[in-house]
Amino acid sequence: MATQLSRKLGKWLLLMPMLLWIGFLFVLPHIKLFILSFMNREGQFTLANYANFFTTPLYRAVFLHTVKYSILATLITLALSFPAAFLITKVFGGKIKAIVMLAIVLPYWVSELIQVFTWMVLFRETGIISYMLQTLGLTHQRVELLYHNWTVLVGLVYTSLLFMTIPIVNSLETLDDSLIEAAYDLGGNFWSTMREIIIPHAAPGIMVGSIMVFMLNLGNYVTVTLLGGKNSMWFTENIYDQFIIRFNQHQGSAFSVVLLTFSVLFVWGLLKLTKQDISEAM
Amino acid sequence: MTQEIDVSLVHITKKFGDLVAVNDVSFDVPKGSFFSILGPSGSGKTTLLRMIAGFEKPTAGDIFIGGKRMNDVPPNKRPCNMVFQRLALFPMMNVLDNVMFGLRRRGGMSKREMEKRATEALARVGLAGLGKRKINQISGGQQQRVALARSLVLNPTVLLLDEPLGSLDLKLRQAMKLELKHLQARMGTTFLYITHDQTIAIAMSDTIAVINHGKVEQVAAPEELYRRPATHFVASFVGENNMLAGGTVIRQLDDEVCEIDVGGIPMVGRMAEALKPGEKADLFIRPEMILIQPGRHEPGILGKVSEINFDGSHSLIIVELQESRSPLSLNVKLQHTEQAPEIHVGEIVTLRWNWTAANAFHHVAQHEA
Repeated sequence: MATQLSRKLGKWLLLMPMLLWIGFLFVLPHIKLFILSFMNREGQFTLANYANFFTTPLYRAVFLHTVKYSILATLITLALSFPAAFLITKVFGGKIKAIVMLAIVLPYWVSELIQVFTWMVLFRETGIISYMLQTLGLTHQRVELLYHNWTVLVGLVYTSLLFMTIPIVNSLETLDDSLIEAAYDLGGNFWSTMREIIIPHAAPGIMVGSIMVFMLNLGNYVTVTLLGGKNSMWFTENIYDQFIIRFNQHQGSAFSVVLLTFSVLFVWGLLKLTKQDISEAM
Repeated sequence: MTQEIDVSLVHITKKFGDLVAVNDVSFDVPKGSFFSILGPSGSGKTTLLRMIAGFEKPTAGDIFIGGKRMNDVPPNKRPCNMVFQRLALFPMMNVLDNVMFGLRRRGGMSKREMEKRATEALARVGLAGLGKRKINQISGGQQQRVALARSLVLNPTVLLLDEPLGSLDLKLRQAMKLELKHLQARMGTTFLYITHDQTIAIAMSDTIAVINHGKVEQVAAPEELYRRPATHFVASFVGENNMLAGGTVIRQLDDEVCEIDVGGIPMVGRMAEALKPGEKADLFIRPEMILIQPGRHEPGILGKVSEINFDGSHSLIIVELQESRSPLSLNVKLQHTEQAPEIHVGEIVTLRWNWTAANAFHHVAQHEA
């Protein structure tokens, strides 16, 4: 009895740091956010904060823009990561594999902020690309490459490549090469083998990567503001504005809750749609 | 009547860098036969099979399947299919979809027709009604059959089998061995089976090609291989054998038979290679071909029983030779029949064998198997 009890206690003690972490830094703040979002400045219950979101065209537009570009960035990331992951696991071997892997991981040794600054150095009016275009005579005046939607996309894709590549590499590594050979042996070609064998096998990795990258994009602030400027129309900027500029933490909370609820529902729907289990995917 | 040939290898060589994996291999696989490639691991047999399947390109030589040169034909266009060592069934599909994969890729067939054929193929390997199961819901033996059905449904000119029975436990392996042989006989498809397990090869094959270090040692029917091994390696690799190494040839008795001095005892054996008097030779004697008799008899070789290992249908008796200069022992396999003599440990016995039971080769210093 006693040993059983102490074993149980031990388990909980081991879990404690994580539970405290999640409890204090995630659950409690979100409960607070949730409560705040249903209050006005006088501390009375109201639905006005949510009504504001649904009735103001600008907020809706910004939200949709954010979702649209998050999805787009996720898809581009996937399109770039999958071939890379495939090459790493199935084509390259030994040294080349290690070098490519390192090349993918290396940029993440510096912070996102520094990564974005390097893009700014490249893209700004007085930046390297603009200068090169002028030197080559392709343009006669400086070109501002920052503050476009595509600039934001470049930044988002770049900062999230790793989070897509690693899960796909992991799932492709468990794919027995003889399965690919068997598909060829039975008359399959590159595309049919990709479609019927390789992608279905990598599906959990693709799913995990996509969820992670989509969430990162949706909640991104630094990359979006620095590369997209004030008019980048990212929803996180609205939240920032409400909390910091307008001191309206109630409206800001409502926006946060909307964003969180949406991302949870979106991921859940996606998993349902692709018939995957969250525990299986993770 | 000339026999039709399904697979023909002509001077095939494969190098990986400096390593010669397959060295000038040539043989023909007759249509409708069960042909095995037998060799120890690292002998190049897998490379050989992968070249026939199209996953590796030969460095030199030509591969013909069904009379057509295959060197530049990719694996998905070759008229052969492979059963992989680890089976390589597709876990993301059910049993029926696995079997239908090849038909779907081939196209030109209605879905109903494909399902009909796949279902028939499953019935043929004894898996009727399991089509909807997932791969991880069926047993190892059933997975073997799915892998067979998946290849056979395409009616390949030749079915390549990469030691697929290796992963099964002994009982199941014995059962599948017979089943595979029956299946092959029933369908008449040419089977090309590679294995390192000589008992499997001997039991199933019409013809066996023994390879070692990338070279063909002998191509023959199992019985021929067993009774008249062509090389030192085949004699030591195929079946159990007593090897008496380092004897000296005394004289030639006729075209085929010679007498060899082994540790001071003259022994007769078949000359598997041309041997001259005075040359060093190794003599291989099958344990079950040695006659054992209690007591001293003439002619014969005297020995003392040092160990008896009972093994059900027979006993393995270890006999120390009495008249040899250095300690020498022979393993004798005694079948437990009505007429079998009673042998006891410590007893003096007389051993005798017909010259056909022993094969003599030039002495090989260090044997690498």
